[in-house]
Amino acid sequence: MRVPIGWLREFVDLPDDADTIADRLASLGFPVAEIERRPQITGVVIGKVLDIAKHPNADRLQVAHIDAGDEEPLTIATAATNVEAGQTIAVARIGAVLPELTIAPRTMRGIASQGMMISAEELALTAEWFEDGIMQFDAQTPAGADVVALFGLNDPVLDVEITTNRVDAMSVLGLARELAASYRQTLRLPEMLEATATEANPDPGVAVEIGTAGCSRFVVQRFDGLRGGVAPAWMRVRLALAGQRPIDNVVDVSNYVMLETGQPLHFYDAAHLAGSTLVVRDARESETLVTLDGVERKLAAGTMVVADDRHALGVAGVIGGRDSEVTAETTAIVLEAATFDGARVRRAAKSLGLRTEAAARHEKTLPQRLADFGASRAAWLLTRMGARASSVRAFGQGLEVPAPIVLRTANVARLLGFEVPTPRIASELQSLGCDVTIEGDDVLVTPAWWRRDLAIAADLVEEVARMEGYDRIEAAVPSVAPHEISSERFEREHRVAYALASLGYGEIVTYSLRPADELIRLRKSGIPFAGVPVEVLNPLSEDQRFLRTSLIGGFATYCAQIDRPVHAFEIGDTFRASDDASVEETSEAIFGFAVEPSDEPAWRDTNFLRLKGDCEALLARLTGRTTAVERAQLAGLHPGKTAAVSVDGVRVATIGRVDPRLAAALGARLPMYFAIVSLEALPSYAIRRYRAPSKFPGTSRDLALTLDATIDARAVERTIADAIGDLCTSVTAFDEYRGPQIPAGKKSLAVRVDLQLRDATITDAQAEAAVVRARDALSAQFDATLRE
Amino acid sequence: MEFLDEALAEIDRKLQERLGAVEDQQHLEELRVQFFGRSGEVTAVRRRIGELPPADRREAGQRINDAATAMERRFEDAASSQRDRVLERQLTDTIDVTFPGIAPNEGAISPLRRVVDDVCAYFRSHGFAVVTGPEVEPDYYNFDALNIPPDHPAREGFDSFWLSDTLLLRPHTSPVQIRVMQQHRPPVAVIAPGRCFRRDAVDARHLFQFHQIEGLLVAEGVHFGHLKGMLQAMCRELFGEAQNIRFRPSFFPFTEPSAEVDTTCPRCGGGAAPCGMCGGSGWIELGGCGMVHPSVLRYVEYDPDVYTGWAFGFGVERLALARYEIDDVRRFIDADPAFAAELR
Repeated sequence: MRVPIGWLREFVDLPDDADTIADRLASLGFPVAEIERRPQITGVVIGKVLDIAKHPNADRLQVAHIDAGDEEPLTIATAATNVEAGQTIAVARIGAVLPELTIAPRTMRGIASQGMMISAEELALTAEWFEDGIMQFDAQTPAGADVVALFGLNDPVLDVEITTNRVDAMSVLGLARELAASYRQTLRLPEMLEATATEANPDPGVAVEIGTAGCSRFVVQRFDGLRGGVAPAWMRVRLALAGQRPIDNVVDVSNYVMLETGQPLHFYDAAHLAGSTLVVRDARESETLVTLDGVERKLAAGTMVVADDRHALGVAGVIGGRDSEVTAETTAIVLEAATFDGARVRRAAKSLGLRTEAAARHEKTLPQRLADFGASRAAWLLTRMGARASSVRAFGQGLEVPAPIVLRTANVARLLGFEVPTPRIASELQSLGCDVTIEGDDVLVTPAWWRRDLAIAADLVEEVARMEGYDRIEAAVPSVAPHEISSERFEREHRVAYALASLGYGEIVTYSLRPADELIRLRKSGIPFAGVPVEVLNPLSEDQRFLRTSLIGGFATYCAQIDRPVHAFEIGDTFRASDDASVEETSEAIFGFAVEPSDEPAWRDTNFLRLKGDCEALLARLTGRTTAVERAQLAGLHPGKTAAVSVDGVRVATIGRVDPRLAAALGARLPMYFAIVSLEALPSYAIRRYRAPSKFPGTSRDLALTLDATIDARAVERTIADAIGDLCTSVTAFDEYRGPQIPAGKKSLAVRVDLQLRDATITDAQAEAAVVRARDALSAQFDATLRE
Repeated sequence: MEFLDEALAEIDRKLQERLGAVEDQQHLEELRVQFFGRSGEVTAVRRRIGELPPADRREAGQRINDAATAMERRFEDAASSQRDRVLERQLTDTIDVTFPGIAPNEGAISPLRRVVDDVCAYFRSHGFAVVTGPEVEPDYYNFDALNIPPDHPAREGFDSFWLSDTLLLRPHTSPVQIRVMQQHRPPVAVIAPGRCFRRDAVDARHLFQFHQIEGLLVAEGVHFGHLKGMLQAMCRELFGEAQNIRFRPSFFPFTEPSAEVDTTCPRCGGGAAPCGMCGGSGWIELGGCGMVHPSVLRYVEYDPDVYTGWAFGFGVERLALARYEIDDVRRFIDADPAFAAELR
């Protein structure tokens, strides 16, 4: 909210320095986003145009005599065309400083001009919001009055942020009230006209029928005899400084009162009301209304309207209708100051897509008394502008009575950690407008009527803290008692991340929300991805349409973007729609690499083996257990180059080369190899037990086998180990070959067998016998031959 | 016996000559074999003892032994000085030690995770557990249980991605508070990092996906000062010893009293000079905090007359931006591996 400091000063005495005021507001919970400093203008005073005539030597100039409060009138030449004798204007004297220039004596076509007449632009106001040419001021303003001081033009404007609970502070008066309490100053209330029914103030002649639970108070008052026109200069300047465009006297009063007191008002042209009753009711089915902005709008169910005998006149709390709008021809107006249910106003504004200043206040449910307060302020302003006021009539429920709150003094220290004496608590709450009684150690508090946010003792503790200043809260270290809450999930993720980093993978973060386009490409790649993607109902763009069902898509897209060899990993959640309209969410890690293409035969892929080695090392480090790898399938990975990795019989990871169709669909140039690890399936770490090596030397034998190409290395290793028995400490395939020297359909496999006894040195004969057992078993099981 | 003496003298002379010309270790080994090996020259002389009369053989043996010992010593001395020469020659090697080192194939942890880990490590050292929660939440956990009923104005502060009438991507980590308190009785001391989502247009300061770190302490005798103390020390861990924090009043439906937390701008140290990070204010915003609202405590069936607690929720990206002086929050997403490596 834009708050001209000059406006605040009307209600409370403040320090000169805007930064000090801004700091104070921030310390009260109203941070100032910006201090808009205005150009420093001097030497501009009110002048009365005594006479004006054509310049003797120039067709386009006029020369005026102006009473600027001095003994002698000033002679000023001007090119403006809207100046007439009798007007009250502003003039810059010789030596005056304006935003763009300093006024010096000058001679215009032979006539010495003693200053310059001023337009809105020269006062650094938004020029298009004011009349063309010389700005017009109110006739009552005395000649010679300092314009800058009169309107606080040099005071900065504060852009104040107001939290949603403090609708009372969405007004100049509300913020002034906070500052007054904080500075222990007296708040000066604005002038009001509380028009009770007298002969001079007849009945408004309008009744209100409230036909909805969403309206608790509705104040009406009629004003006659007001001629349409511009509002007084002081009001227009103030509105402009607050960022509100001046329109005409009635609209300006409505905006002025809203900005000043926080109560939105609405004015109806009395001549356009059918009947003498305003009805507040729920909108009828498919009811429409042409709003002030000229748009015909369909009103959603639950929207409240204010209507006359014929039709809706406006959307309650949001916007008025065009038909009853106040115009230049209006001679009598009816004021509405009402209290609506915030939730209903919010829904109505949302359904209309209109967040007006009025709705921004009404949607927080204003205090009922504010309706009367705002009406009285408007009445004073309108009557000052020449209107005759009727009496005020209020309709609706009786005024709400704020419920008293018991604040136990001890509660202050209990929550804040420092003590405040009871009388001091009482005086602080009193300064905020609360009604306070001390009863022993308790303080009985009836909140101010404008503070509907104060409902419980903790709310009052915050008020005390604000008045004391949050800087009084002293840093202390709590002692946390033991508890049984586990950090296990976090630790697991933490260990996975650091293990992957130590294996040479760099962590990345990709978006969990994926573009629709990516999903379409993945689908078109012909890969049957598992799981139904969860769709976002209200994405900001198509780039955020779907939740990822797998980490593969985003990770592959990332590698394609980088377009050079990279080792990376990511840990995150994936999402799938369930049948019962819930969402299944699982935590996964993906790691892998993109590499330059290699020139290897179809039956060999060294990069796969590198990935597998990393995955086994990772799982061994994380679980301390042994892993098993077997051929598997996973959508997105190459059907012939994919394996499942299990720990203690539970599948925890899938590794493989990325399906070339997927790579092509995402435009990835480099082959990619990914491992996907389920964090949920990962078993806990099992402590490994040390087994001392045999004290006796062992030996090893390399076997060169020729066998059917379809037989896996792991089956061969297992057969050898089983055939040899305890003597065999390890069997490892270390080379594979297919080619011209080997018959078609066969492969050559080299296997190293380590042999060792725990209680003796192994003899050559024992080793040879072991090899024979292995050869016989391989021959029997796989028809494999041992080459010498 | 003269022939023996002559032969030994001749061998010794030859040995000295050869040793004088030795060039390397292998040459030495060849000489060892030639002179002292099984069929070496000294052994050949020993074999000739048989040509002597038996009475002389004992003395001849002694002489050969003495001569052989002397020659072996000479040989060892030569070998030793040869080894020294080899070592000395190595010492004359010199390289350009300023030539760039060969980088290992090293991985990296994202700066976001490092900030989270450091915060968690600090709180764990004070007895807090680290917990996590789902990113898809029912509005019940996300709003209702946090004292934000439907149509509450505060819902507007959370511009969320909705997945159905009741499911949304969590816009903050606070629902984890509810989940933890429903499962455990006080004392509860947890820290909850996690990914959150809001419908923010992406720019240098905003992403629609970001991370928060939530803290919650509920026990008897917990007050606002304890929160200030913990957060102050946390900031010193993260940014350095000179770090200060301040609380400003604010509003959150799930805390009362509530505060915004600022910490000294780590770049300018709170100075008045124009600073791109804090905009010259000397402070950077960390996020919101406050004393847990009695309604929230009642919601999870904790008695607010017995227990008090505090909670905070900070933006991890914001902490990381400040800590590493990163100019643009978008750098955290789809980052080049060099990004994390650079900040190592």
